[in-house]
Amino acid sequence: MRLSTLGFIASEAVQNVRRNPVMAMASITTAAISLLILGVFLLVSVNLNLWTHTVEGQVEVEAFFRPHTPARAEAAAVSAVRRWRGVQAVSFVSRAQVLRSMRREYGSVLTALGNHNPLLDEMNVKVYRPRDVRAAVLRLRRMPAAAHVTYQSRVVERLFQLGSLVRMGGIVFAALLALGALLVIHNAIRVAIFARRREVAIMRLVGATDGLVRGPFLLEGTLLGLAGALVAVIVVGVGYHWAMTVVQRSLPFLPLAPIERVVPDLLEVLGLGVVIGYIGSRLSLRGLMRG
Amino acid sequence: MIEFLGVSKVYPGPVEALRNVTFRIDKGEFVFLVGPSGAGKSTILRLIHREERPSQGMILVNHHPLNKLRRRQVPFLRRQVGMIFQDFRLLPDRTVYDNVAFSLRVQEASPREIRRRVPETLDLVGLGHKAQVFPQHLSGGEQQRVALARALVGRPPILVADEPTGNLDPETAAEVVRILLEVNRRGTTLLMATHAKALVDSVRRRVIALDHGVVVRDDAVGAYDVEA
Ligand SMILES: Nc1ncnc2c1ncn2[C@@H]1O[C@H](COP(=O)(O)OP(=O)(O)OP(=O)(O)O)[C@@H](O)[C@H]1O
Ligand SMILES: [Mg+2]
Repeated sequence: MRLSTLGFIASEAVQNVRRNPVMAMASITTAAISLLILGVFLLVSVNLNLWTHTVEGQVEVEAFFRPHTPARAEAAAVSAVRRWRGVQAVSFVSRAQVLRSMRREYGSVLTALGNHNPLLDEMNVKVYRPRDVRAAVLRLRRMPAAAHVTYQSRVVERLFQLGSLVRMGGIVFAALLALGALLVIHNAIRVAIFARRREVAIMRLVGATDGLVRGPFLLEGTLLGLAGALVAVIVVGVGYHWAMTVVQRSLPFLPLAPIERVVPDLLEVLGLGVVIGYIGSRLSLRGLMRG
Repeated sequence: MIEFLGVSKVYPGPVEALRNVTFRIDKGEFVFLVGPSGAGKSTILRLIHREERPSQGMILVNHHPLNKLRRRQVPFLRRQVGMIFQDFRLLPDRTVYDNVAFSLRVQEASPREIRRRVPETLDLVGLGHKAQVFPQHLSGGEQQRVALARALVGRPPILVADEPTGNLDPETAAEVVRILLEVNRRGTTLLMATHAKALVDSVRRRVIALDHGVVVRDDAVGAYDVEA
């Protein structure tokens, strides 16, 4: 296809939009709203993922030895656990070390204890993957030397569940809205085809190929979708930037995904806008090409 | 150039619009298609342009059998057959120049070709000086000449006209037919459906007469009615 033909298609598409600005605005707005909501859901889920991983990285299982367990038995237990599948590292911390570090941290409060040390020897078990936590906990509990076992995996599980819930809910909700946007664009293009029925008839009359008759409408629909997506991405991007500064000021311990990390998601939203516009107009053209 | 072999056309209804129509039009001919309203004139023209397909029989345009034509090839057939109508069918929001250029643009001609051929064709129909005018500021005869320029600008070897003078007063009609004769003189094969008795009688070209979908007369040098 020649460049001048592409130019022709583009100028016809622009004329369509100019002739029916209200329809174009409605299409862009609905596409923007649905994609905006999708964008928000995506960003929330990205951050939930990030938090899950952050908490996950901190996951350690702590096993406390029964009082008066012989040092040899404790050492044997440590080296046994080291050989377990899924275990990344095991470190032994004696009750004396724990007390020393607590003294350093809390100082005089603990002087009341005198020479008495009420603490237990412990080992910290790090696993590779969060799903190994539970198995490690169960096995540790079965060890005769273990007094009790604690872990933080509850939080991780909850975050995981929340993350996938947000993702699923977001996808379903946004899919419905995207369908709405698609239908609005579909309708806009049907109106455009009706408004341009004279042109279409003359194009056919003088021997335009189907591709050329369709071109302006496909381009128009695609541009409407893209415009809606651009609005959504800009609003979401600016909003996220603003949220980051607010969060950093008031909740500095809360890690947030940096803008660069969410760029792929924003690009996905942009791509989805194009797809919605293209499919919407494509549907409108089915009838046009018959007869 | 155009050949009908035993062509019948039945519209849903059913309406039998054409019955076993056979004729041949050679390159360079100028042919009038006459007959009472509903005789099937427009149906023949639409069949040539592949807007309709025959129920039976065979049609050849430019030696190509239309029944073998694929959908994708239809646009290229239409570039071979220019068409004008009683109601002009111009685009009201485009100038005369753009109406004519539109045709070449959708045929994917180069910008240089468009710049060369549009003024040339407007001159041929005598409208070179009205290039930047909008159709609603033109007389009926001028509008039909714009439509004619649009049909001719792609240089089709065949021109088909469906009552092109139907909306025009006799004087303007004569002017349009004069241009059609000039176009034909330059080599374009011409088929014109008409009710304009006076015109047909004065021009004295081949006349194919239809009645109720049947060819009732085909005179090499004919008149509108059967000559006494
Ligand atoms: N799309 C259609 N569906 C059904 N019947 C049709 C259709 N087009 C034409 N006809 C019928 O076919 C017959 C021939 O119509 P056609 O338009 O070819 O006649 P015509 O000779 O051009 O008439 P006119 O001089 O009034 O233009 C008529 O009876 C008409 O009613
Ligand atoms: Mg007719």
